[in-house]
Parts: sequence; C-alpha cells; structure tokens
Amino acid sequence: MITRFISDLHLSPSRPDMTALFVTFLRSEARESDALYILGDLFDYWIGDDDQTPFHRHIIQELRQLTDSGVPCYFIAGNRDFLIGQRFAKKAGLTLLPELFIADIYGTPTLLLHGDTLCSDDIGYQRFRKVIRNPLLLGLAKRLPLKWRRGLAHKLRSGSKSNQPLSAEQLKKMDATEVAVQDAFSRYNIKRIIHGHTHQPNVHEHQLASGQIGTRIVLGDWYEQGSILEVTADTFILRSEALSSD
Amino acid sequence: MFVTLHTNHGDIRLQLFADKAPETVANFLRYAEKNFYDNTIFHRVISNFMIQGGGFEPGMEQKPTDAPIKNEANNKLPNKRGAIAMARTQDPHSATCQFFINVNDNDALNFTAENMHGWGYCVFGEVVEGLHVVDAIRDVKTGRSGYHSDVPVEDVIIERTTVEAAAE
Repeated sequence: MITRFISDLHLSPSRPDMTALFVTFLRSEARESDALYILGDLFDYWIGDDDQTPFHRHIIQELRQLTDSGVPCYFIAGNRDFLIGQRFAKKAGLTLLPELFIADIYGTPTLLLHGDTLCSDDIGYQRFRKVIRNPLLLGLAKRLPLKWRRGLAHKLRSGSKSNQPLSAEQLKKMDATEVAVQDAFSRYNIKRIIHGHTHQPNVHEHQLASGQIGTRIVLGDWYEQGSILEVTADTFILRSEALSSD
Repeated sequence: MFVTLHTNHGDIRLQLFADKAPETVANFLRYAEKNFYDNTIFHRVISNFMIQGGGFEPGMEQKPTDAPIKNEANNKLPNKRGAIAMARTQDPHSATCQFFINVNDNDALNFTAENMHGWGYCVFGEVVEGLHVVDAIRDVKTGRSGYHSDVPVEDVIIERTTVEAAAE
C-alpha cells in the first residue's frame, strides 16, 4: 500500500541516462504502487501534444504500460510542460489534474501542486506566468504552427541561459515563501502539502495559525539521481535512486 | 599565464591557474585567442556580488558559443573577491564563454559536493591588476533589458583582450 510522487524529471532526448532511469522506475517499483502522481516538469519542455517525436512516443508508451497494468497515474502540469493536453493524457492513460488538487491519500487530505505559485517573491515570474497561463492565450498558442512554437520555446529557454551564479536574493526569490505556504494551508484547510519545482527536496514543518503543525514535502529533481516520495497510510519516505554507472 | 581585458573602464589583468583548472583555462584562452571577447559586454552586474560578461555584444545580442566544458570547481578554489570563475546554467557542466569576477567573498558559490546544488562555480584565475576597474564596473547603473535584469544602462565593453605567456 504505497502511493508514489515524482516531479521535475525534465526528460529530454539530451539526457538518455535519466530517461533510462525513469523507464526502469516505471517498469519496476511504480508497478507496485496504488497510484503514481507526477507533479509537473516531467518534460524539460512540451510545445504541444502534436509534437510527436520518437522520444515522446517512447515515454507515452512506457506510461501506457504502467497505466494498462492497473496503476492509476495522475499529472499536474509544471512550468515547463503546461502545454500537455488531453491528447497526450489519453494516449498515456493518465489523468490530468488541475493546478491545485486536494487528494485523499489514505485518509489524509493532501494539497498537490507543482509549486511555482508558492514562489510569490518572484514577482517578475508570477506576472509572466499569469500572462502565459491565460486560457485565451494558451488556446491561441496551441494554434500556432509547430515550427513557430519550437522557435518560441527555444527563445524562452535561451533567456535563462548562463544566468548563473544567482545572488542570495535571487536564490531566495526562487523558493516558496512562508506567506504563500501559510495561505495555501489555511485556504484549503489541510495539514499536508506536496510539491516540487524548487529542486530542493526537503520536509518542512510549518506552525499553522490554527495551532497545528502543517507538513510540506518538497520533491527533488531528477538531475543526478531519481527522487521519489513514497507515502503509506502511516508514514512517508523521501528517497533518491542512483543512476546506474554503465 | 596572464590575460588582460581591455575595457572602456580600464584594464583588468588576470592571472590564470592552468595547473588548478586546466580545461577551464584552455577554454578561456581559446575564446580569447580567437578574439571572441572583443566587443563583448559585462551584461550582468550585481554590485554586492559579481560582474558577469563574455557572452553578449552591445545591444544584448547573444553570441554563438563552443561546446560546454566540464566543471572543474572540485579544485576547491574559493570564489573570493577578485577571483574569476565560469558562469553557467543550472547544469553544473554547462559553462561555455561567459565568466564572472567576484566582487565579494561569495562562499555560497564554492564547491561542496558533486551534485546539482553542490558543484559550485569553477574559479580559474584572479585579478592581479585593475581591481579598481572591477570596482568601477560594479558601481555602474543597471536596469532591465528584455528577459534580462541587472544589465548596465550604459554598455561596459571589453574592447579587446591580450594573452601573454607566463614569464617563469
């Protein structure tokens, strides 16, 4: 009786090692799950369900095998792959969830989200997000020719090229803020949040206004290892899975 | 090995540590020797942190680069004031042409472990003359330019570079 959570895999054809690790995960322990939740940025970028490369087909097929085996799989879009739509979901056999979703995990209501909306100090990004996630604009964007979208995605990504090192202030801006976290706990009246996005795997305890303790579990990225959260009825483990050396 | 950056604010003379960061130094010299850095700008200036340049032309035109190099920050040279290190993306092994000069002791940028958060930024040299030029650049007025922030309002230009072999 284990439910598993992953996020921030940033899968792309340029990282065959990480793709292989993900496939191994899907074929092995993921099969032993009550459910698998993917909380965004499964792909490094996604410019539309009509962009069907052999790489995309491979991932879809692997997800499909998992869902066909009877493991329900849920997906919340991240800031890199928010253009994933119903066509992809249907093919892979997974269920798309809204950007905020309260799941009942063995009796504990748990707020699931990608996590970018919690980084409320990054005003520039939040403004950008509001524009780019506007349904009207999204609808228009999906109608653009595939070639244009590829170019646009490339341009957006190159905006963040060689932008590091980041200063202490910038790093802070990229993390979830206490204000946004507290707001989420109280607004949805829950005691557990699971999210990714910040690439800083950790378990945080928050003193809530109600006097209770809220638990916030931050998933890790799949950059140099896999990162998996396993939740059971009584407990949870946030663990990493090493890349095989060959 | 020494390289001088001749900027419109004055000269910055750098000593490079080829013994400590051989691939990084070779990479930097290759760009310098093919005059890649001529007419590039310091495009990212944060006054209490560092000045970054070597990848953009005036007008924020990004230059095409060579292949990325491996991160040699496990040489454990500290990002102290005056140290020059390679800029990169979130990927530790993604440095190409852009570099930065620390204007403070930036311990948070040092190598701690071979993972995404711990790799740090590879120091491969230090300013031996012209630290006052670095300080003049850190104090320039900055603003936003397109997707980029902390961009000097008036271009800080590397006009050319000269490479001199070590005398010893």
